[in-house]
Amino acid sequence: MGNAAPATLSLRNVSLSFGGLRVLNDVSFDADPGKLLALIGPNGAGKTSVLNCICGIYKPNVGIIRFNERDIARGKPHEIAAAGVARTFQHGELFPHMSVLDNLMVGRHAKMTSGVAAGALFTRRVRDEEATHRRAIEEILEFVELERIRHQPVGDLPFGVQKIVGFARALALDPKILLLDEPSAGLNREEREDLARHILRIRHELGITMIWVEHDMQMVADLADRLYVLSYGEFLAEGSPQQVLGDPKVIAAYLGRAHG
Amino acid sequence: MPSASGYFRTHYGEDTRLLDTRTKRVCYALLVVILVALPFVASAFLLDLANQVYLAIIGAVALMLLTGYAGQISLGHAGLMAAGAFTAGILFKEVNAPFWITLPASGLVGATIGVIFGLPSLRLRGLYLAVSTLALHFIVIYAGGEYETKRGFSTGVIIAPPRIGSWTLEDPIAWYFVLGLFAAAALLFGLNLLRSRTGRAWRAIRGRETVAEALGIPVARYKLAAFVVSSMMTSVAGCLFAYYRGFVSAEAFSLFLTIQYVAMVIIGGIGSMLGAVLGAVFVVLFPYAIEALTQVLPTPAAWANAVFAINYAAFGLVMILFLLFEPQGLVGIWRRIQNYFLLWPFKQAPLSKGR
Repeated sequence: MGNAAPATLSLRNVSLSFGGLRVLNDVSFDADPGKLLALIGPNGAGKTSVLNCICGIYKPNVGIIRFNERDIARGKPHEIAAAGVARTFQHGELFPHMSVLDNLMVGRHAKMTSGVAAGALFTRRVRDEEATHRRAIEEILEFVELERIRHQPVGDLPFGVQKIVGFARALALDPKILLLDEPSAGLNREEREDLARHILRIRHELGITMIWVEHDMQMVADLADRLYVLSYGEFLAEGSPQQVLGDPKVIAAYLGRAHG
Repeated sequence: MPSASGYFRTHYGEDTRLLDTRTKRVCYALLVVILVALPFVASAFLLDLANQVYLAIIGAVALMLLTGYAGQISLGHAGLMAAGAFTAGILFKEVNAPFWITLPASGLVGATIGVIFGLPSLRLRGLYLAVSTLALHFIVIYAGGEYETKRGFSTGVIIAPPRIGSWTLEDPIAWYFVLGLFAAAALLFGLNLLRSRTGRAWRAIRGRETVAEALGIPVARYKLAAFVVSSMMTSVAGCLFAYYRGFVSAEAFSLFLTIQYVAMVIIGGIGSMLGAVLGAVFVVLFPYAIEALTQVLPTPAAWANAVFAINYAAFGLVMILFLLFEPQGLVGIWRRIQNYFLLWPFKQAPLSKGR
């Protein structure tokens, strides 16, 4: 949209259907570098499906998803993740029996190189690699303020903290773009304030591009740079929070049209 | 001068150390001393039991990696052991191959079979996968049985004791140390894998495949790797078993053996290497304990005929009891005892599902 720098990620005419069910229809948008793009829409609008298409879990029937000068629309999820697309999940989806540290170290997988045989022998190179990445993880733990619980099994932590761990695990991939799937769902007021602070710090201190699926309109209005609205899998509106949230079409989609 | 306690770390490399504290180092050194001294004081019967336990530990560690960590259910364990044993038997009988060839050969055969029977895991999950691995069991046993009948070894293949140079491995005490070293190596390999990238990938796959994939883990490749590593270790255990018994026969690898290995993993405690060891000890010693129990009953003679039936029944019962009341297995019990003494004289343990 008139931006000099090319978009970090752009969708062009993406459509997705499961059998006869149309989930997404001709969705196109750009995620500009370093910007926070909020993806909003009523329940069932296809927001999470957009994220699943980007990270390769769903394969769109039509359309292009450009990332890193490449179309990733038909790529494998692990390759897309390794290329720099990280995401969080609506329900956390952490590994409950593993410690916070190990959960984050899983996120480093694609950055590491040691194979099975070297691992079985735990060679000096493997040990050094572990230590190097352990150091990187410690920086992330500090960034999201989880140092005090680094050795605790994730399953023992309260839900709000687990969500932050999920955040940190996505950051462990050193992503170029971060996809957030309803990070505020299930959090109380104070946890949301914390979350907002983390999102802002990622935006300002790390400068990572973000696509943020969200239902909390107050949070979106305060934090997002741009909004993209989906309704029944189709484009409804796009623009700054003020423009979009005042748009009668958007209000109608959320609240329904007045009768009479 | 006091040596470092290990409780306070000064660089990140220390985080991955296996024996990180002085207490642990002292305890394990003591354990090693006891295990080294054991064969010189134990009876021939006890020595055989210890050797069986060592063999079982190799197999249990292999299955723990596959099922307890990578989350792939397998009922082909006895089949894989048979594959290793028959590789050794056939190579010995047909080309008179020495031990240092048959051992790596059985590892190789195990790895190859691991790829083949790991392939269904890319599509199937849970029970369906279990059934596909069960098919492998029957194929291997059938092939082994066919070899026996075709070549006229109807009762089984007899293997001479392994010879390395001019030295022959025959003495039970020598076997004790060889099998002990193999078991220790299997454990060390397992622990090494678990503290490296591969082990974390396996645990992530067990947790949730789609999430692991979205975090950059090539799930298919790591599932196959789990099958290959596990099958290779199991097959090597089968080869050692063949040499130790001096005899290979398809009957020795019944489905019950598979159940026993699954039991080791469950009774020991899913997702724990210590569990694999405890499970192996428990399952190997269990029938002997039952037999000893029937001996002290008022009329031992009356029970003698029923010992096998009692064994099976008791084994099944124990397995059900563990599944119902102690899903964390022997490791769970061990941790509770540890906690009790750590907390004493207080009673309340912090609520923790930690492993």
